[in-house]
Order: sequence, then structure tokens, then C-alpha cells
Amino acid sequence: MKKILENASKKLPSTIILSVTAFFIFLPLIGATEFSLRDGGPDKHSFQSYKWIFEQSGFKENLGITFQVTSLAVILNLLIMVPTVTWLHISGLKYRRLVEVVTILPLIIPVVALATGAQTALPSFLHNTVLELSFMYVVIAMPYSYRALDIGLSGKPLNTYVAAARNLGASWYKVLVSVITPSIWPSVLAALFLTVALSLGEFTLAQLLHWTTFPTWVANVSQENILGATALSVGSLFFAWLLLFSFTFFGTNKIDRSKDEE
Amino acid sequence: MTNTSLLVKGLGRQFGNVLALDNFALEVPKGELISLLGPSGCGKTTALRIIAGLEKSDAGEVHLNQKNITNVPAHLRNMGMVFQAYSLFPHLNVAENVAFGLKMRKVSKSDRTKRVNEILELVGLDHHHKRFAHQLSGGQQQRVALARALVIEPEVLLLDEPLSALDAQVRTNLREEIRRLQIELGTTTLFVTHDQEEAMAISDRVGVMNQGRLEQIDTPDTLYNKPANDFVASFVGTMNHLPAQLDNGMVELFGKKFPTQKSGNESGKVNALIRPESIQTTFNESSANAVVLTRSFLGANSRLICRTDDGTIVHSLMNNEASHSLHPGERVKLEILSREIMVTNV
Repeated sequence: MKKILENASKKLPSTIILSVTAFFIFLPLIGATEFSLRDGGPDKHSFQSYKWIFEQSGFKENLGITFQVTSLAVILNLLIMVPTVTWLHISGLKYRRLVEVVTILPLIIPVVALATGAQTALPSFLHNTVLELSFMYVVIAMPYSYRALDIGLSGKPLNTYVAAARNLGASWYKVLVSVITPSIWPSVLAALFLTVALSLGEFTLAQLLHWTTFPTWVANVSQENILGATALSVGSLFFAWLLLFSFTFFGTNKIDRSKDEE
Repeated sequence: MTNTSLLVKGLGRQFGNVLALDNFALEVPKGELISLLGPSGCGKTTALRIIAGLEKSDAGEVHLNQKNITNVPAHLRNMGMVFQAYSLFPHLNVAENVAFGLKMRKVSKSDRTKRVNEILELVGLDHHHKRFAHQLSGGQQQRVALARALVIEPEVLLLDEPLSALDAQVRTNLREEIRRLQIELGTTTLFVTHDQEEAMAISDRVGVMNQGRLEQIDTPDTLYNKPANDFVASFVGTMNHLPAQLDNGMVELFGKKFPTQKSGNESGKVNALIRPESIQTTFNESSANAVVLTRSFLGANSRLICRTDDGTIVHSLMNNEASHSLHPGERVKLEILSREIMVTNV
């Protein structure tokens, strides 16, 4: 009996902290969800506001643009960051500090400056193409994707893997694709998810570069209908969660498939 | 000459101020197992990595089967390598790891499966195809790494201290197995180690390295009994260095005169190099010339550490029967059993 009490008293602080945190996270969500389901008043609930979203003109087109930009940003990001971070870990150790500073810059430089910079620095054939925005999203996702990959690669005997793969006949391309990337798969997925999440919600850059993407469209249409706006936010949030869970599922599934055979 | 598989000429490599390799040369005939033995930092791993193409050399050439491969990238050299650190790819299971090199060579799937099965059976892991690295012991992981290096039928097998992370018993078993496989498959092999027992046990020839140079390369027997210099003598096995006076090519030790490798007209102060097993320790009160300091039991033999009356410390290796009555503090007589003695100048 004493032991049970002791255990309970040990667990009590963590339980309290967890409950308070959960309360603060979930209460607004529950509130918002309930609000978005209201139909005319607090007593009647329906999916009317969600239906309203799909009825707005521009929904499909702008979602389409955002998907294009996002996919391109993800591909570009991984193509640039995976080889770079790998190289930093294998032979560019002395440049790591420098790269760390460079990758933090997008968080420090105001977005307005970034947008102006993009318009002056990007070659003119990229202006007004989807690549313009994708490139900028790669830049602003860099602080996150760099760190995700850096964590994945730290503590791995990377030099040994590379030497073994090279020795077995793998070109540098094969080393990256068949050895490095799969061995840090969860980190690659994390970098991918962070880029997706960022591109799906980015508003300022798109607005400043005169793009209508899904987030800028949401900002516009939600000014007319407060219930619809809430429904949009709740919907986007659940979509992002869905993505997060599916990535986590794929990530752990690939690494832990050994456990099924034990 | 046509029998030479691997030929290395004048390799040099410098890291900052440290000379890792200094005019390093080596010739490995087909099917031979050569060990590179030396203290850590002597350049043996650097030599191996340059041969594998994983490291650039500042000077020198590497030839494989009469072809200069100095500038051929690592992945086109067809050499198998096993590393000191566990190197199995964590996202692939045993069979996939072993098949990796074959896949890179675009070997068909059926052929791959066949060869993977054969080699895994050869290294005694035929029931572990689906296991992952984290489910294997250290010894098993190195067996898989060995299978992975051998399955591509390499021109040369390079082993970079593959046993040094393993337990003593596993280490002994696996080194015997490496030798068995090497003879069975006839693979030319270069084995890097800092463990002299390991090198002596499995090699056709052993090259002793020091500060980037190859000091001597010979059969284990010659290396032990006829070391080329002081460094080799001290590095391979235990060696007594007894101060002595060289007089017309002869030295006097414990009251007896011995011929040396020096010519008859040389004289001066020298160190006589004598193996512990060449020094006999007997219990003899009347003509004692030393006192026993410690006696360590080594199984079949015992090692006695004695101090002579003039203060020199002498190691002696005796079988247990002959030495069981010799205890620390006892006065003993030391005698040298060698016929000729090697000396080095002080």
C-alpha cells in the first residue's frame, strides 16, 4: 500500500504538468472545432461551413498551385540539403560552423528583404514561374531541414559506411541514394515534413511576390465568413496532422521492419 | 613477376607535420596473406586506405595485376575490404548487405541469391539472412562484413584490424576462419593489425611498420628469430636487451663467450638481444648471479622476471615443471642457451 502511494506521489507532478499542457493545447482546438461546426447558432451543428469552403471559387486552383510549389520545394530541398549535409559530415567539418550560421539567416532576415532579394537576384526566366516561389521556400525551410538532417547524420559512422559502399563498387551517387539516405530515413522524412508544413502555411512571401496560393486565398475568403475561416483553419490543421502521422508511420515502418521478423 | 597481384611503389603521405607514409613499398604475390604490423600511428591503415583508393597519396604508385591503378577511383578497383568499425548498412538485412556489391555490379537477381547463399554458408551464417546488424553479435557482424567483401570475388582482400573490437575468444576463432577462407578461396590478402600474435598466427609474411616505413617483411619465423633491427626485435615478441662489451666480434654474458653477427674486428659497447625462452633459470645457490623478482603463470609456461647482480632486469620463459620451485626472492643462476647472439650498437 505504501509502495503504491509512493509511486503515485512520484507520478503526480508529471501527471499534473501533462494535464495542464494537454488542456492548453486541446481546449482551443476543441473550441474551434465546435465553433466551426455551428449552424446558425450554438445549439445546431452541421458541416455547412466545411461545405462552404469547397463552394468558394479558386479553392481547387489555389490548392493546386500550393501543391505544385510544395512538391517542387521538397524535391529541391532534399536534392540540395542531403548531399550538402552529408559532405559536411564526411569531409567539410571545418565548414560546419559557417553553414550553421548561413542556415539560420532565413530566420533572421525579414521576409520583406528576402522577397525583394528574390526579385532582384533570381534570374529573370524564373520570375513568375512556380520555381520562383519554390526556391524561396527552400531558403526559408533551410534552417529546419538542415537541422533535421544534421541530427540524423550525427553519431552515425558515416565515414565507414561511405568507405564500405565505395569499396563495394558504389559511385558517389549510389552512396547517397542507396546507403546514406535510407540509413537516415526518419531524418529525411522530418526534413520533408517540415518543408511541406512550411510551404502549406506560408503567407507573407507569397503575398509579397504577388502569388495567390492556398494560404493567401484563405486569408482573402475568410474575411467574409468567420465560421468558414475557422473551419478552414481546423481543416488545415487536421490535414497537417494527417501528413505528420503518415510520415511518422512510413518512417518507423521502414526502419523497424526488422522487428516483424523477430 | 607475373605472379605479383599487388605492387606498391614509393608511397608517401603527409598529414600536416606528420609523415604517415615514407617511401612505402610492398609486393604481394597472388594468393598470399601478408600482414602489416605496427604500433598505432605507424601508417599501416593509411597504406591500406591508399591501396583501396579511399585516400590519396602524395607520392608513389599502386599496381594491380600489372596495371597502374593509382588514379582509379575506389569503386572501380574491385577490392574487398573489412573495417575495424562495424560497417554493415543498418537499413539492409544480412542477405541484402552481402548482395550490395553484386547489385552495384549489376549481377542478375538469381545469380545474386545463389552467390549470397554460398558465401553465407561459407562463413557459417546460413540461417541469418533476414537479420539486421543490431540483431547480430560483434563477431557475426564481422563475418557478414567478410562475406560481403568476399562475395564480389575481389582481386585483393583488405582487412583493416577487423578483429580488434571483438572478445579474445571470438577473435582467435575468427582469425583462424579468415585464414581458412583465404586459403580455400586463394584470395590475395593484406591484413592490418597491431596485434603481433594475430599477425604471426595467420600470415605467410609479416611486414613490420614504424613511423611510415616498412622496417622488415619476412615470414613470421624469420621475423622472430632474425629481426632486421632493434625495433623489429622489440616489437615482435618479448626481447631482453642486455648491455655487453663487444670484443673482436664476441660478447661475454654471464661468464660465457658467444659469437655475434658482427665481424671479428669490431669492438665496443653493445646491447645483446636475447629471447626470454633462450635464458635458462636454475636454482643454484653457489654460482647464483641473479634474484627472482616475480613469477607469472602463463599456462604451459611461467615468466620469471629476475634482476642480475649488476642490476639488469632479465625476462626468462621456463616450462612450469622446471620453474615451479623458483619463488620471488630466491637466488638463481641465469644461463644463455643460444649459440649465436644478435647485438645492436648502443
